[in-house]
Amino acid sequence: MSLVSQSVRSVIWRLLLALLGVGALLALEVWQRPERPCPANAVWSGPAAPPDLATLRVVDRGPIPMPAGMAAAHASSLLAMPAGHAAALTVFWFSGDRESGPNVQIAASQYLRATHQWSPARFVVNRFVAGPQLGFGIRRLGNPVAWLDGQGRIHVFVVATGGGGWAASRVLHLRQSSTGNGLEDLAFEPVRVLPLSWMWNTSFLVRNAPLPLADGGMVLPVHFELGIKYPAALRFDRNGDFKGMVRISQRPFLLQPSLVMQSPTQWLALMRDERPQGKIGVAHTADGGAHWSDLPDLALDNPDASVAGLGLGPGQMLLTHNPSNTSRGTLDLSQSVDGRTWRTVQTLEHGAPQDEFSYPALLWLDGSLWVSYTVERERLAWQRLAPVAATTKGQP
Amino acid sequence: MNAQLNLWLAQLLATDAPALPTALAMQIWLHLGWSVVLASMGAGVVSRYWPGTAGRLELRHWGTALVLALWTWVPGPYSPAYWLGLVFQAPSIVAVLLCDGLLRKRFLASRSAPAAVHEPNRFRLSLALAGVLVGWALLLDTFALLPMQLYAWGFSPVAVALVVFGALLPWLAGRSPRHSRWWMLPVALLVFVAVRLPSGNVWDAVLDPCLWLALHGYLLRAVWRHYTTRSVG
Repeated sequence: MSLVSQSVRSVIWRLLLALLGVGALLALEVWQRPERPCPANAVWSGPAAPPDLATLRVVDRGPIPMPAGMAAAHASSLLAMPAGHAAALTVFWFSGDRESGPNVQIAASQYLRATHQWSPARFVVNRFVAGPQLGFGIRRLGNPVAWLDGQGRIHVFVVATGGGGWAASRVLHLRQSSTGNGLEDLAFEPVRVLPLSWMWNTSFLVRNAPLPLADGGMVLPVHFELGIKYPAALRFDRNGDFKGMVRISQRPFLLQPSLVMQSPTQWLALMRDERPQGKIGVAHTADGGAHWSDLPDLALDNPDASVAGLGLGPGQMLLTHNPSNTSRGTLDLSQSVDGRTWRTVQTLEHGAPQDEFSYPALLWLDGSLWVSYTVERERLAWQRLAPVAATTKGQP
Repeated sequence: MNAQLNLWLAQLLATDAPALPTALAMQIWLHLGWSVVLASMGAGVVSRYWPGTAGRLELRHWGTALVLALWTWVPGPYSPAYWLGLVFQAPSIVAVLLCDGLLRKRFLASRSAPAAVHEPNRFRLSLALAGVLVGWALLLDTFALLPMQLYAWGFSPVAVALVVFGALLPWLAGRSPRHSRWWMLPVALLVFVAVRLPSGNVWDAVLDPCLWLALHGYLLRAVWRHYTTRSVG
């Protein structure tokens, strides 16, 4: 009897000690964590009084300068520079001898306010430099996505592969290390590979622009693509610190989400569909990205190709997409009031079915819509559209 | 009072305020972790094929371990950590502690007497099985095949507390045999809470995919031995 009671007493003591230890650890855990972010509220990308989108017309267009001797270019990302900066915007993309080639680097060019010209392109991220800085190798570089944080520093999120092809991709987060962000000075240092999955963070890719938030932070859309696909949204604070991940859709064929704001807390994710005969997929959140639910596909065809959306103001949404099941030969700009019904505003490019005008990026800046996209995976092109009433050629 | 309790609970469950390690800490851990793992594996391979004299600490054993450990600290692409990190990122704290334990056991035992071979017992098999099951759940979560986001949950304080409590269960139940190294898991969690390595997520601290695969091997070998012994008997 005494043996039993001694044993019970021992278990109770151990339990008490364990609970005390766990409690102390829990307190330490909570104490050392940063403050939780407030609920996400997105901010409009467009002007306070958005224009009539139906009147948007192309007012300027051309090629973006390529780095010398590079035969491949793809996946551009547009970034608005702060007011007063010599450049109105910066474009980032990957370039090399071929897609997934060993010499692929991240290139950038800036559109200068003074000359209304693009500056000569320059490589700003090199895997042979970023790898040793991280401490481990990077096999290949891919899509970049740029963002300006609350302190005016540029962050670039880059697809960086481990041991394998695109399915072995990770998202590498780099932060501006140079004092200035003029193109000549621009330099980056790795922050980390984003911790997105237990399996060596494998098979997460980034493609589309982040959605800016009122707190100075942003939500970055990413996707998983090893076998099955799924999109996810990552939250960052105004300093560019990672705050967590929420899955966007349960459908295993949707990727490369583009976040479009309908109101500060209601957003759409418009997505590429990898199925044959695919349509643009949609998911919706009504609580600032805390929860997402799938919506029926749009009526718009999708040839397993990236789309880019933008919310300029209430009931004013824009979308750039390839309006076909089978070809990337045509690139359209469409507008919508409700996010469900879309109407073509402009055909930006119209080529033969075997041509490719793909991976568009959108940006509203200084009263104009800027579009950049890949041409034949060899070079990049850009267009500037403005409401016809306010057209002034060459003025960004 | 209720509002305060809700706030406290929300704080415990929050996955949106992760404490992540610094870039420098991650880089040091990458080299430290792989140096211990490689030293242990190298010494294990050498002593398996060139066992040496029982009770003697052979130069080729500790020399191999030392050379591999030092080689891992070479910066850049000349280091094995550079290439291992490319594919496997950094090892978990538990994997490093296990390798460290194996290495010390091998050397300490060779100084005194031949290393005692601990056959798989029920306690170790239970721990290995738990690791295998958790790994499967995390793998399913990677492919979004679970209704919840298990990996993301590993950023919350309550996940750390529950894993610590689970790690203490053998001790609570008084079923932690000597030589079982049951304390490795709680120690790994203490290290995690202090330095957030390797990624700020508690699952990465207690189990990595390489360790998970090794646990499969351990369990399969135990099952194989169990049935072959029975059939011989």
